[in-house]
Amino acid sequence: MLWRALLGRLGISLVTLWIVSVLIFIGTNLLPGDVAQIILGQMATPESTAALRAKLGLDKPPIQQYLVWLQNVAMGDLGISKAGLGAGLGTPIVEMLGPRVFNTARLTLLVAVVAVPVSLFLGLIAAMHPGTRLDRSITFATLNLISVPDFLVATALVLVFAVGLGWLPSIVYLRGDETGWVLIKTLAMPMLTLVILVSSQIIRMTRATVLNVMSSPYIEMAILKGVPRKRIILRHALFNAVGPIVNVIALNLAWLVGGVVVVEQIFSYPGLAKLMIEAVLMRDMPLVQACAMIFCTTYIVLIFIADMATILSNPRLRHPK
Amino acid sequence: MKEVKTFQQMYRDGHVNRREFLAAMGALGITATTAGSLLGSASALAASPTRGGSVIFASNLHGPDDTLDPILGTSTIDYTRANTMYNGLIQVWNDMSLHGELAEEWSVNDDATEYTFKIRKGVSFHDGHPLEAHDVIWSMNRHIADGSPSSIKSFFANVIEWKEVDKYTVKLTLSSPDADMPVKLTQPQAKIVRKNAMDWWKAGTGPYVTEEFQAGVKSTHSRNNNYWRDTGQWLDGIEITAITDPNARLNALLAGSVDMITSISAKQIKKIESSGQSVLSVPSGLYGGICCLKNTAPGDNDDLVQGLRLIQDRERVVRKFLKGHGTVGNDHPINVAYGADHCHELPQIPYDPDKAKYHLNKSGYSEVELYVAPVSGAIEDTCLLMQANLKKIGFNLKLKKVPTDGYWGAVWMKEPLNVVTWNMRPTANAMMSIQFGPNGNWNDTFWNSDRMGVLLKDSLAETDPAKRHEMHCEMQKLVSTESGIIIPYHTNILDAHNPQIQGFSNCPLGQFGGNGWAEHIWKTG
Repeated sequence: MLWRALLGRLGISLVTLWIVSVLIFIGTNLLPGDVAQIILGQMATPESTAALRAKLGLDKPPIQQYLVWLQNVAMGDLGISKAGLGAGLGTPIVEMLGPRVFNTARLTLLVAVVAVPVSLFLGLIAAMHPGTRLDRSITFATLNLISVPDFLVATALVLVFAVGLGWLPSIVYLRGDETGWVLIKTLAMPMLTLVILVSSQIIRMTRATVLNVMSSPYIEMAILKGVPRKRIILRHALFNAVGPIVNVIALNLAWLVGGVVVVEQIFSYPGLAKLMIEAVLMRDMPLVQACAMIFCTTYIVLIFIADMATILSNPRLRHPK
Repeated sequence: MKEVKTFQQMYRDGHVNRREFLAAMGALGITATTAGSLLGSASALAASPTRGGSVIFASNLHGPDDTLDPILGTSTIDYTRANTMYNGLIQVWNDMSLHGELAEEWSVNDDATEYTFKIRKGVSFHDGHPLEAHDVIWSMNRHIADGSPSSIKSFFANVIEWKEVDKYTVKLTLSSPDADMPVKLTQPQAKIVRKNAMDWWKAGTGPYVTEEFQAGVKSTHSRNNNYWRDTGQWLDGIEITAITDPNARLNALLAGSVDMITSISAKQIKKIESSGQSVLSVPSGLYGGICCLKNTAPGDNDDLVQGLRLIQDRERVVRKFLKGHGTVGNDHPINVAYGADHCHELPQIPYDPDKAKYHLNKSGYSEVELYVAPVSGAIEDTCLLMQANLKKIGFNLKLKKVPTDGYWGAVWMKEPLNVVTWNMRPTANAMMSIQFGPNGNWNDTFWNSDRMGVLLKDSLAETDPAKRHEMHCEMQKLVSTESGIIIPYHTNILDAHNPQIQGFSNCPLGQFGGNGWAEHIWKTG
């Protein structure tokens, strides 16, 4: 049963990836200008643009360009960045992606490590004491933070902690050899921004799910039996709420992968999302595609985990009629 | 000489002007050439320089197309790296005068078709190889090769050949006279690299050696201990990066994360100065303007263009939007920053809504559409002001806002009315030729004038300053009345830096003194 679901998922995922690649290709072609024009900018002459186009293989019809790309990708070759090629010998995209993927993965993992326990804890606290001042202040704070866009949170944090207090750097300027405390301090600002944004959602959902379970008949039974409240929540309610909570966490981490786009840009963090924005600005089709494929795959995997968690935690879904 | 120092100090503080300074040097028995260089260094006399320290420089744009190959450079970050790593044959000083760099000296024949360059001896590349004539020839041939990707290929369209005369002499032959060739050789793209260089990291002779380079991330550079001249090289290390978002860039400076940021906007100046940081504001020919294409409607209608000229409230644009860091434009590119070639006799085009109304009525149009992208600091505000002023006289200007990315390929030189920005060029002639010359690739208002072609050619050969000035005046008048360019303002080049960093020059040809700051600046305390 599980294997069939897995295989089915894999097939759908590949189709999704292909559709995304087609959409991105159409999108980059709809944008005004091509990579040759953009590299040359105001310096472009018809002659120099034509020379660069020929060098980059842009003189061929778009469909042919796409098919060449698809064929190479199917054989595991992501190609060479067109912008890089226009600017010299060109770097294979795989080499460009390496450090960027590492940076983005490092940031999102650190955020997850901080955000998930903190928000589960706060969510449970709020659920254990519904209607109290504590619960209300948590709810008030999270609702407010959910309503604020990420770039505003980021800018406000920069103004307070970097410009005002001078505690933290306002951009992430990596030397490459940071470890431990120095690394945390360097990454603190984008981490803080993302933790704030991701946690609010998880806190809200954890609270709602646990409270939902708390109103079910078997909990009422437990209460009538005289089981202490703490034990009811941690022993009975939480386990039944695990499925939906994992679901929420996975969905939020998937959101996180998209959320880094704005955050990386604001903190000038050399991650995958910033590379993708630069690639779009350059109309560098193979590079945009490569970045998009990675984002899309991450998204699909996380959604898959979310679905699996729901199915595994709910026997009724495990054995459909 | 103590007197020299005193006079340099006085010049820097504005107590004596340039002419008085040079006269004083003459009185002290110093030759004109030496005096010129003393003048150049006078602006860098605020404190005595100290060795050591490093700076982080944040440009405005970078990406996967960042390059160390000089011929492909197209952005501030590329030009800055080129000036840090390489030298050119010829360099331009703050006063726009030309001086030999890797060429010790050069000579030209009477009709400006043959140049001979004496290559400096005792210069070595970062990999230890000595500089010789064949390196120069190889570097320059890269611009003229078939299918060359050089971004200034068109500058060298008239080159027949670069020829080695002996190990330290190079001869250049041209198919048509070109007195501006030395100026073209000062461009950052025309830097000299080692023959057959594949790896750009060690291919230069410049003041700093590249240690690390990642396109779209950063590069790091350390002092070249075998540099061929003594220009200070005060800094131990330089890091070059970019922060694309303007507010993030400003915050990075304010928070001390970086030491220098380029391309600040006039609106940010107050904030920067009140936070104890320094602003570098250098008057320049850099301008923002509106292109009306003369080969199509509505730009082919002279009354329409004249009406749009008269509706520009230029004083207000400079005062309000540039906060005074700019000069009023007169619809031709040559402002006071170009020195003697600027035509101060030409009357300033006034803000005159009545006359504008008259011309616009006569044009028969009551509505036009202008494509606007934020290509220059104040251009959007300028267009909005123009829209409001036109509305008062019953004319509807529709503004079509478009993004900057893709703008130069998709809108500029294509849509009938669009906005433009042009950097200053080293000479008035170079600027005029590139935008209005008969063979210019960037004739962005599609205005062709035979008279303009003749004047451009003759003024290059004219040696009498008065006659030359007269010719430039005629050209400026032609452009400001007949072409389709409207130039409401010229902006100062605006950068900001940590006040600990000193020694910037005021060359108006690019950010931070023409992008060539690496070997001159130092950091105190």
